[in-house]
Amino acid sequence: MKQHRTIAVLLSIVLQGLGQIYNRQWLKGILFMLLEVAGFIYIAPRLGGAIWGLVTLGEKTQKFVKVGKVAQMVKGDHSIFLILDGLIILFLVFVLLGVYVWNIADAYRNGKLRDEKKAVNTFRQSYEHATTFYFPYFMLALPALGVLFFTIMPIVFTVMLAFTNYSAPDHIPPAKLVDWVGFKTFVDLVKMKSWSHTFVGVLVWTIIWAVLATVTTYFGGILVALLIEQKGIRFRKLWRTIFIIPYAIPQLISLLVMKNLFNGQFGPINQYLGYFGLGGLPWLTDPFWAKVTVITVNMWIGIPVSMVLILGILTSIPRDLYEAADVDGASTLQKFRIITMPFILFSTMPILIMQFAGNINNFNVIFLLTGGNPAKGDYQFAGATDLLITWLYKLTLDNNKYNVASAVGIIIFLIVAIFSIWNFRRSKSFKEEDMIQ
Amino acid sequence: MMKKWLGVLIVCVLVFTLAACGNAGKDSNNAITPEASSTPAEPGGNNAVTEEEGELLPEDGASLIIWEGKSQRNFVEALAQEFTEQYGVPVKLEEVENPDQVTKLTTDGPAGLGADVVVFPHDQIGRAASAGLVLPNDWFGEETASENDPNAVSAVTFEDILYGYPRSVETYALLYNKKLVSTPPKTFDEVIAFSKTFNDPKKNKYTIMWELQQFYYDYAFLATTGGYMFGSNNTDKEDIGLNNDGAVEGAKFLASLKESLLPLNTGDITFDIKKGLFIEGSLAMDINGPWSLADYKAAGMDLGVAPLPSIGGKPMSSFSGVQGYYVNAFTKYPNASKLFARFLSTKESQLRNFEMNGTIPANLEAVQDPKIQNDEITKAFYEQFSHSTPMPAIPQMASVWGPITAGIADIWDGGKDVKASLDNSVSQIKDAIASQ
Repeated sequence: MKQHRTIAVLLSIVLQGLGQIYNRQWLKGILFMLLEVAGFIYIAPRLGGAIWGLVTLGEKTQKFVKVGKVAQMVKGDHSIFLILDGLIILFLVFVLLGVYVWNIADAYRNGKLRDEKKAVNTFRQSYEHATTFYFPYFMLALPALGVLFFTIMPIVFTVMLAFTNYSAPDHIPPAKLVDWVGFKTFVDLVKMKSWSHTFVGVLVWTIIWAVLATVTTYFGGILVALLIEQKGIRFRKLWRTIFIIPYAIPQLISLLVMKNLFNGQFGPINQYLGYFGLGGLPWLTDPFWAKVTVITVNMWIGIPVSMVLILGILTSIPRDLYEAADVDGASTLQKFRIITMPFILFSTMPILIMQFAGNINNFNVIFLLTGGNPAKGDYQFAGATDLLITWLYKLTLDNNKYNVASAVGIIIFLIVAIFSIWNFRRSKSFKEEDMIQ
Repeated sequence: MMKKWLGVLIVCVLVFTLAACGNAGKDSNNAITPEASSTPAEPGGNNAVTEEEGELLPEDGASLIIWEGKSQRNFVEALAQEFTEQYGVPVKLEEVENPDQVTKLTTDGPAGLGADVVVFPHDQIGRAASAGLVLPNDWFGEETASENDPNAVSAVTFEDILYGYPRSVETYALLYNKKLVSTPPKTFDEVIAFSKTFNDPKKNKYTIMWELQQFYYDYAFLATTGGYMFGSNNTDKEDIGLNNDGAVEGAKFLASLKESLLPLNTGDITFDIKKGLFIEGSLAMDINGPWSLADYKAAGMDLGVAPLPSIGGKPMSSFSGVQGYYVNAFTKYPNASKLFARFLSTKESQLRNFEMNGTIPANLEAVQDPKIQNDEITKAFYEQFSHSTPMPAIPQMASVWGPITAGIADIWDGGKDVKASLDNSVSQIKDAIASQ
């Protein structure tokens, strides 16, 4: 008695929607069929070209042909557009394949209903069923399509670029074609001395920077918050307002002001040092001091955020814990170590890890303050304070090394992803454990 | 009830999005499919007509977009209006600063989003032309070549094809404050002698400044004594002369100036700081280009301009640039664009631009015009221009700036050995070029 479902599935495999029609779901079947026909009409003539484009990345280059006195442009293949168009077609094929699978599953389900002598839904019923039971899925389908075409596709595109030689000056379309080179860009990053030296140097500094930037702002924030919350501190609101100001000024402005403040000769900071008879420091021009400067300035910008966060947590610590500690005669330091700090750490650990991941990509501070400078002679297109992300910016916008930039982008993605996953795991484990034993 | 309607709405939207996706894909597909481009004379209909009449006519219904920087807005808008009156082609200006144009054109041009006429300094032409982004200047080629300064013409030519329509030439010279310097120094020895009486770093008083972080300016010190960038014509990427004996001699002289003239680190001199000092009278001389004149004049300075002081008896060889208009290879209206680019770059237009913005014409007759000949500032710039080297235009230039700037910083800030630093920079440049 499995006839109906088998026949429906077979028919649906042959032609999308046929199984539904066999199940006497006319309208649904026709809709499915129309979708497949439309898909075929649209995709069939393009699929070959799309695959050809993705595989070869174009064969003809653009050139000029003299016609009389005027040079005519003969269009060639644009490798990058070929990748994009190929991807769009492939993604559409995936979406339609999804519909195809759904159509088969649907034919099977309704065929099974008929086998069991149950009535299949009329279109009206399916529609009502869909709008009530499947309503959330419909709501989700739109953003999901959006994510597919506007988020996932660009990511796939970027990843693909890392496996090409899309870079100035010899492989910039439309005059020149781009080719697939496999893992060559990654291998160069690791093996070729001029690239690997820069890569390792920038990577190491990025990690040092992320650790220092996170730790300094975090503990700075705790310190300021604790001081404000000390018993007997007057004008608490005033202090809070003062310390939040750096956060309220847009970084774009404050960082550019800072840049002038730290100017080695004309900046007020070195001028003041001069008044006190001290020599100025090369804040932005010496590789070491430039690193110190970016971390210091980052503290100034980042501490208010941590401070606000920790002020909130401090108020949520149960007072009775402190009272009990007072009864036991604990010192201030002991109270901090045993009650306050674990509480803060417990609540902020996930945020702390995300801040760390965020600092790996802290573009603003570096780009606006030092621009990655001071220049470093043995680096390829990078300066002493460049992070991976600012290096990536220079590679793409200043030097058109799109392939290396994509490879660096993938590496940044991997690093940040690892921390995010770790963070996710941690926060889960936190939920299950009881915090203070 | 509500849910039902929502459901209908969503289905509609879904269908629409799919349809929209489809259309977009179709359009871009057409643009690149091999069939679409297999006929060489694709936009040919129009040209056939113009060819017979021996006159270039704008396409029917043409309208143009030009990218220009802010400072040229007055000039371009005035001429666009006249162009529209004469040819009936409307022109719109979009503000894009010249150094950013080729980067923007690289992505926007082939996508059909670029301006029809663009303008950029000639050192970018290698990048633009080798990527096939600009049309050759064919129709007006002969006029352009014969009317303009040969240096300027060769600057807007790449691999023997003329692309550009020169707008102006520019180089840097010695700007001085007439209240502080009565006669401009002819040699660097005079500059150093003057600094003994004037320099006072504690009070922020300085004799001379240039943007040390920009190799564009530092190049003059290396080049005067025999350094060069890419072979004799600045086109040989194998022959880098930034660490030869001449360059080392020049760099040693440059390094010696830190003690005697400019006890600052390279990164501390920015364009704005220098401008501020010069205007307030703390800085006597500024090595700068014509693009800075407007600010200084607006500040009411008593400004003089002279050629750069000589080094060891040799006139200082600066980098020069030629600003030129170019036609986007992907323009829908190549004829109208060529006409407009030509219209903006004739002798009369170049002179008008000089009157309005102080740019220095590339047109030979325009230079002889009394307006230019009687203008002390422009004459001084022009004299410096005759000692200048056009910036190399080959695309490998992009690999030079970073390493050589770092090398100069090593020498100036770090006091490192001159020869070793330059050798290091050059090997970096060679590595970068080899890895392309």
